[in-house]
Amino acid sequence: MPKSRRFLSAQNRREWLLPALFIAPALAVLLSLSIYPLIYSITISLQQETSSGAVWSVGNFKRLVSDNFFLTAMVHTLVYAVAALGCEFLLGLGLALLLNSKMRGRGLFRASLLVPMMLPSVVVGVVWRLMLNPDFGAINGTLRRFGLKTESLTWTASPKLAMLSVIAVDVWQWTPFVFLVLLAGLQAIPEEPYEAALIDGSSRWQTFWHVTLPLLKPSILIVLLLRTMDLLRVFDQIFILTEGGPGFATETISLYIYRTAFRFFDFGYAAAMSFVLLALTNVISVIYIRVLHEPQKGT
Amino acid sequence: MRLTIALTLVLLLALSACHPNPQSLRKQLTLAVVSGVEGEALKQAAHDYEAQANVHIDIAQLPYTNLFEKEFIDLKSRTGAYDLIMLDDPWFPRFASEQLLTDLSPLFQQRGQSGPDSDFIETSIALCRHPYQTGSLFALPYVGNSQLFFYRKDLFEKHSLKPPATWNDVLAAAKTIQEKESAGANGGQIYGYVMRAEQGNAAVADFMPIFWAFGGEMFDASGKPTVNSPEGVAALELMLELGKYSPPGYVSFNASDVGAHLLQGTAAMSINWPAWISSFNDPAKSKVIGKMEFTTLPSGQKQGQAEIGNWLIAIPRDSRNSADALDFLLWATNAQQMKQSAQRGNPPTRKSLFNDPALVAKNPAYAAQLRSLESSRPRPRTPYWNEIENAFGIFLSKANSGDLSPTEAMNQANAEIEKILKRAK
Repeated sequence: MPKSRRFLSAQNRREWLLPALFIAPALAVLLSLSIYPLIYSITISLQQETSSGAVWSVGNFKRLVSDNFFLTAMVHTLVYAVAALGCEFLLGLGLALLLNSKMRGRGLFRASLLVPMMLPSVVVGVVWRLMLNPDFGAINGTLRRFGLKTESLTWTASPKLAMLSVIAVDVWQWTPFVFLVLLAGLQAIPEEPYEAALIDGSSRWQTFWHVTLPLLKPSILIVLLLRTMDLLRVFDQIFILTEGGPGFATETISLYIYRTAFRFFDFGYAAAMSFVLLALTNVISVIYIRVLHEPQKGT
Repeated sequence: MRLTIALTLVLLLALSACHPNPQSLRKQLTLAVVSGVEGEALKQAAHDYEAQANVHIDIAQLPYTNLFEKEFIDLKSRTGAYDLIMLDDPWFPRFASEQLLTDLSPLFQQRGQSGPDSDFIETSIALCRHPYQTGSLFALPYVGNSQLFFYRKDLFEKHSLKPPATWNDVLAAAKTIQEKESAGANGGQIYGYVMRAEQGNAAVADFMPIFWAFGGEMFDASGKPTVNSPEGVAALELMLELGKYSPPGYVSFNASDVGAHLLQGTAAMSINWPAWISSFNDPAKSKVIGKMEFTTLPSGQKQGQAEIGNWLIAIPRDSRNSADALDFLLWATNAQQMKQSAQRGNPPTRKSLFNDPALVAKNPAYAAQLRSLESSRPRPRTPYWNEIENAFGIFLSKANSGDLSPTEAMNQANAEIEKILKRAK
């Protein structure tokens, strides 16, 4: 036996055993709940059922390219994510800047802004479904009070308005989160750079653009990353509000994956789609980090 | 080292505690039932059965949307966890074609019986055979739903309209009622018709009776999809015409939206299921007490036919107690027990019960229900129904929301169904 395999010595083994025992349960849980399912889902995405049993093939991935439902769902997901993220970011930033200044009653205002975020998405979905009901809903009811005609405003039932409706609901629920993170970022910025800018005679806009935004970058990165990941895998709100309808107008990729797996029981294809979504999320995340994350240039 | 031994001992001790208790000699059955009135009746029956037979029955009750996936995954992984399962009939071909259910015919023969008695309605028993109507028996029908045509008797009399016998009558009546009732003697708008056009099950269920009445067929004799036939397109055109007299937003309506309009008296006609009938006479919910009439579905070029929607009970192939399970199954579906279920609100699947005086007195629509059920049609029998229904529903919904013309919608639906079948081969 070569000398290098000293770990077999009795003493070494004893030293090694106890830590291994302590790590083992955590490792077992991780392996069985995370690593094994991941490998399993890769396996089934690369297999197809035939009359003679499962065979290895890339058929599931090939099918993605010619599946109109998948491609449309992908476009919907991107439209939904970009529009909702844009609105949430701009509104959240505006609110954060506004409430960062010292104004009266801002404590109350801040607290009330957080309510939507605390509600479960399912509850938000149900509440908005009722509010958006064209006949009995609060929104059309209010509009009718002001003498507006609401016949064409069928919100979740109209192919033109349905996407807008689901985006609006997400903006309503998640703008407070963006606001909260950005506000925390703003409050962490020290006074000195502002004083320096004031002395140098920069305008308010210049101060915002050259001082506030660069110093806020870490918070912006976090908020964009988290929201993008959430938006790309949105499920519960849309499932309750429209179930992907009318027709296919608000079907996102997560809904389609759910249907494929648990309604049609085609787990292989569903797994293949999930990996595409995972890859997309990773690519977008890397882009964000490249663009927004600057390594500290010395001190 | 001592620590390892101690840990092993603890683990062994924990495992031995999980060992089944050998004292329970009582027979044991496990049942999967749906939430709601259908499953509730079977649950009650199971409790009654426990009291009289020496059997302990465990019940897993699941909401409709989860029941299929739970049962399918369980049977597919052959755990033998369930001895009896409730199935909605469109799921049956998938379960039967994957050989997940127990063939009941040999069990009947062992008991010296040729099969289920002739009191069961033929269209219901046909659903339990695989292949449809002709094959072996894999289930028994428990709840006998089929669609009915609901209409407002009072409004039809007021505007001297005949009871709707054809889809053209329906369209004409919808037009008359909507025009005359919108002027609003009592201020309220009444829509001529109300339907569900939400993609998926809802749109398809409300469309199939029109499709069949117009002579449409989903598949031709060789199994190729033919939804884009001229008959199919004409049926969709009629659906869109009816849409003009449906409340705005009907494209996203589900059963509860339609129910709300009928109960509030804001819509005059609809295709619907018997489960709603009792609520029309409930003063707490209904503004139309005594004003609703129920009849069989209107005709087109062909005699009108309802979609059948029965709850079946089957024994999974991997059940370890199939003989005991069959005992319970035969008991729960016998005439006396099914009468109990009918009294709990479920339409029966036996002719004798539809004619039972006590039940008829409580359920005035039973005569219409029996006629509808006996002439009903099942959804196309294919293991890929969930997928096909989803695709078909999306295009029906798209046509109703104005995204696609009827011809385009049917052509695209046909192509998509073709793709599903091709993939399945």
